[in-house]
Amino acid sequence: MLTERKMKSKELAEIIGITTANMSILKSGKAKAIRFSTLEAICKALDCQPSDILEYVEG
Amino acid sequence: MKDNTNILTIITWVILLSLASILLNDIRQFDFNQFKEFQNWAESADKNESWFTSKNAIKWSYYVISVALFFFRGYLIYGFSYFLSILKEIEKGNYFSNNNIRSFKKIGNIFIWYTINVFVLRFLLASTRKSTFNFFNELKAEFTFLIPAGLALYILAEIFKQAKKTKEENDLTI
Repeated sequence: MLTERKMKSKELAEIIGITTANMSILKSGKAKAIRFSTLEAICKALDCQPSDILEYVEG
Repeated sequence: MKDNTNILTIITWVILLSLASILLNDIRQFDFNQFKEFQNWAESADKNESWFTSKNAIKWSYYVISVALFFFRGYLIYGFSYFLSILKEIEKGNYFSNNNIRSFKKIGNIFIWYTINVFVLRFLLASTRKSTFNFFNELKAEFTFLIPAGLALYILAEIFKQAKKTKEENDLTI
């Protein structure tokens, strides 16, 4: 989604107001949960739906 | 919090040093002359005679128990020193660290073991002296409060374990 929008993860982190460290946790999939406010901010910044960035993987 | 930690560290050091000096003073004042007769016997004993007589056994056990009681007091002071490592972690800002959980468990262990061992040793000491051992009086003694304190520290360790999990989860919630 980031490459589609030609955006760097650092820029996205700045827009949604989270640290780059948290951004990398989010990207690596280590995050245990995501706040609705963060999800909303990401969707707003990338102009997409939650389903575009979330994916269910059977583990 | 840092100021409070500093004050607590100073208080802990004062307690530790006073406990250690009291212990050292007690060891110094301990009347070793009471073993003189026994020591003389050890020097002048007839080697052909059996050393294991009930009288010797009682004296030996009295000697060993007295040493063990001193040892356990040292062990209790060692337990108190773990409070310093907890305070150090808190000063670093690691409130819910594995080190703190371990330290709480260790202090709890030491408190409970100290009380149980001192209780048993006092019972044995009373029996070697042929004095009476009043179970309930011993239970009322000041040192038994360490059992509830030890249990409380165990509970605290469990709470900290849970808190650590919650903190980790919170840290990984973006």
